[in-house]
Amino acid sequence: MSTDTLFRRITDYANRPDPYPLYAELREHGVARQEDGAFLVGTYDEITALLHDPRVSSDVRNRDDAEELLAGEDPAAPRSFIALDDPEHDRLRRLAMRRFGPPHTPGRIDALRQDITAIAEDLARGLGEKQHIDIVDDFAFPLPVAVICRLLGVPGEDVPQVHEWADAVVAGLDFSPEEEPAERRRTALQARQAMGVYLGELARTRRERPTGDLLSQLANEDGPDGRLTDGELMSTATLLLIAGHETTVNLITNGVLTLGRHPEALQRLCDDPELMPRAVEELLRFEPPVQFLPQRTPLADIEVAGVTVPKGAPLILVLASGNRDPLRFPEPDRFRPDREDNQHLGFGSGVHSCFGAPLARLETQIALTVLLRRLGSWRLLADPPEYRRSPVLRGPRHLPVERGGGVS
Amino acid sequence: MRVVVDLNRCQGYAQCAFLAPRVFELHGEEALLYTPAVPNDQRERVLQAVAACPVQAITAGEQAGAGEL
Ligand code: HEM
Ligand code: SF4
Repeated sequence: MSTDTLFRRITDYANRPDPYPLYAELREHGVARQEDGAFLVGTYDEITALLHDPRVSSDVRNRDDAEELLAGEDPAAPRSFIALDDPEHDRLRRLAMRRFGPPHTPGRIDALRQDITAIAEDLARGLGEKQHIDIVDDFAFPLPVAVICRLLGVPGEDVPQVHEWADAVVAGLDFSPEEEPAERRRTALQARQAMGVYLGELARTRRERPTGDLLSQLANEDGPDGRLTDGELMSTATLLLIAGHETTVNLITNGVLTLGRHPEALQRLCDDPELMPRAVEELLRFEPPVQFLPQRTPLADIEVAGVTVPKGAPLILVLASGNRDPLRFPEPDRFRPDREDNQHLGFGSGVHSCFGAPLARLETQIALTVLLRRLGSWRLLADPPEYRRSPVLRGPRHLPVERGGGVS
Repeated sequence: MRVVVDLNRCQGYAQCAFLAPRVFELHGEEALLYTPAVPNDQRERVLQAVAACPVQAITAGEQAGAGEL
């Protein structure tokens, strides 16, 4: 088939369970121009180079078709730093980092260990003796939102509402071409605004009466880079809530799915739980929750593997394909929980590389460890499972498993 | 357990300093300091840091660093 339909085939829901052969096809060409003028890149070295190239923008306002893309959005609304370039990106990320991690706040994520473990244990206890379990609804789905709300200082009684908004926003990112996106985009925009307003209100309360959580500290920050404006605070807090939600749900779920498919790896992890941190890195390579980065744009004509990608064209970096590049990873299609030299692209690379990576790692390691211990022996009931629609944030919608009859 | 960081490889990604802040410490934005002799209660954290380091700059084990001075 022609390579200029690759993106259509990748986004086609029928290929959600296994997009990897399409990625292999993409890698044969390195760069593939699509029928709509977008460029797909699927090889490890080229993706890495582009992620470190200052001529590649994360701000879609640099797209040739920006006006169309941004229809309905308020141009004056502050953008979150994932969608900005340096120096604005750097200033906002640095301000947020001052209260999230080292060097200024080194113990913050470490201090969440007990909370995360308690939340995971609680959910696992909730499974009781149930014979049939949906890993998504019963376990993976509620966990990351609970954790990020704890970190930010969102009161417990508001968590369900925040969860609902986060889902609506993520649904809006899902641009399956066969569906009419306008309605979903509108709902998503409304949810994002509602969440922003809520977090802005909460931040104002915390400015008067700080409670020691991340939001209180961000609201009262007075470091060398100054303080976040109200608008910036809203967009940053919203970003933290959204960026870590479905991604982490999918990593946990993909973990259970992958272990269900690889009984020998599952057995090794049950025998040797110290292997878990490395197994999670391998999952980030093998089944990454962010399959591609759809919103890069070159600020100048750029040569990529002999092809010129013109300024202003959509540039799509297929992380999940780079992760399976045989030039970088030996036996890339094998899941090896003890893989060495595993510099995967699961969290991206370069200046935008995942801000929340340490938290996501910890959450997933703890979640899978607690879950495996509680499940006893189990097996997958549906393989492949039913997937969510999104080709970007790819993961199962449900993952039914049955206790008994499997490993351990 | 002992730990060694290959500071020529280290890119200052700070993943280690998040996961085991009592063993790995970032000074300023770049410089990494660490405690080569890992206290027992930090063992699990250090293994997490080893796995998380994007450039695999950290070696941990009973023998790590032996004979390198
Ligand atoms: C397994 C879970 C996660 C995965 C796979 C993941 C993946 C990614 C990737 C691939 C990027 C790069 C985006 C780009 O280059 O355009 C990114 C950025 C980001 N992530 Fe994550 N993420 C996860 C969890 C989290 C969590 C828990 C948080 C919040 C605490 C978070 C916050 C962010 C933020 C704020 C950015 C933007 C960074 C920037 O633009 O400088 N992520 N993530
Ligand atoms: S995680 Fe690795 S690269 Fe990053 S600071 Fe630690 S040792 Fe250096």
